[in-house]
Amino acid sequence: MSGGLGLEQRYRRVLRLLPGYYRDRWEEDMVAAFLDSWLTGDPDDDECILEFCKPTWPEVASVAALAARLYLGGAATPRRYFAWGQALRRAVLTVVLMHAVLGLDVLVRTAWSHRLFGLPAPPASLVFAFAPPGGVWPSLYDLVNVAWVVIFVTLALGNYRTARVLAVLAIVPGLAALLQAQVTGIMPAPFGRWAWWVLFDLGLVVAMAAFHSDAPPPARLPWLLALPAGYLLVYGPVLALLATGNSAWLPDWPGVCCLLVALACLVHIPRAWSRQAGGSGVWSLTLVLLAAVFGAFRIVTLAGYLHDPHLLKVSLAELVILVTAAALVAPDAARAQAAAPAPPYPGVMAA
Amino acid sequence: MTGQAFFVLTALAGGPRHGYGIVGEVAELSQGRVQLKIGSLYGVLDRLAVEGLIEADREEAHEGRLRRYYRLTRDGRHALAEEAEVHAAAARAVRARLRLTGPAAAGTAG
Repeated sequence: MSGGLGLEQRYRRVLRLLPGYYRDRWEEDMVAAFLDSWLTGDPDDDECILEFCKPTWPEVASVAALAARLYLGGAATPRRYFAWGQALRRAVLTVVLMHAVLGLDVLVRTAWSHRLFGLPAPPASLVFAFAPPGGVWPSLYDLVNVAWVVIFVTLALGNYRTARVLAVLAIVPGLAALLQAQVTGIMPAPFGRWAWWVLFDLGLVVAMAAFHSDAPPPARLPWLLALPAGYLLVYGPVLALLATGNSAWLPDWPGVCCLLVALACLVHIPRAWSRQAGGSGVWSLTLVLLAAVFGAFRIVTLAGYLHDPHLLKVSLAELVILVTAAALVAPDAARAQAAAPAPPYPGVMAA
Repeated sequence: MTGQAFFVLTALAGGPRHGYGIVGEVAELSQGRVQLKIGSLYGVLDRLAVEGLIEADREEAHEGRLRRYYRLTRDGRHALAEEAEVHAAAARAVRARLRLTGPAAAGTAG
């Protein structure tokens, strides 16, 4: 049974993965080349091939990879796709930066706890040791946090492939630690930790596909400086509150992330509302993407506070602050996606 | 320039070719090491066309379908020549190192 579709129609269906502007230009050519790759010139064989054969998985994968590269476009793609590509790349860099800041904290607190470099002894509340309960996987998970510093620097320097490979390796201990905790029943808030792994480990590695060969390189120096600046911004107040015994003032990590994204939105508002700011829409789109991801994380982690009305209220307030701040930059984000005609293709005939 | 783009430009240096013709030529030039899928080929052609290194040459009817042929532009020929020179310089450097550290060099050193 052929299922009612010929090889050509099946291939055209695969090509629907590509953006419309690209299909207008290349579809007929791609179909002709694809059929050329199958047909033998023998009428009987060709009839069977056209009726029964299907595009191979590697062929479908090559079209899917092309589609991902076009939708998350480089500089030569229409403005809408370029804006999405840039926004996703910046959002990915920001999430990797978050991992790197956590990793840097492991390094700083380990150094401090062991009084390296002549540091004075830390307050008891800040002593850190690589020995969390649960055995080897949680310890390895802590160690892997440090690897995110390397992954962030690698990505910011434009070594995309190396960063992707390291990130794939870095998320494995987290999954193993989760599975171990799930099986042994020691996980206190399973929903939140699974959400963390899915959103900020697995989802992050998938989204790193936006760093393809057509992607423009990130601005190295500002991103590299963002690591120490991010550490001081996040952990300066955190360590001060912990050291002075005021940890009750600290929001949980999803709350910290919501408030930081909301703060970034507020700082960005003057630029987002300015008509002169060329290209600011991409940063607004980045912030809206980050607000969506961290908002989802906040919602999922609310489940852990259902027994505590006070913490539930605080968490909901964080969510409202995040949504309100993101709404203020959302119109500018929408402007970034305004459709623009595809760039001209010199010398290529219209299909 | 990526390896795939280099081979596609080299294939077109021999004259205008249509999509599947380029796939076959690239496989032959690379001695089977580069097997372009159609999706990958048109990703490369798209980029090369945007950069002005290739352009459409003509269209021909073949078994009821139109085959579009592509050719190198002047810029494409120039870019390919530059890339070939880079490869040649690298190959010369490798050969020179191998001559210095090969069995013959080791024999004379010992």
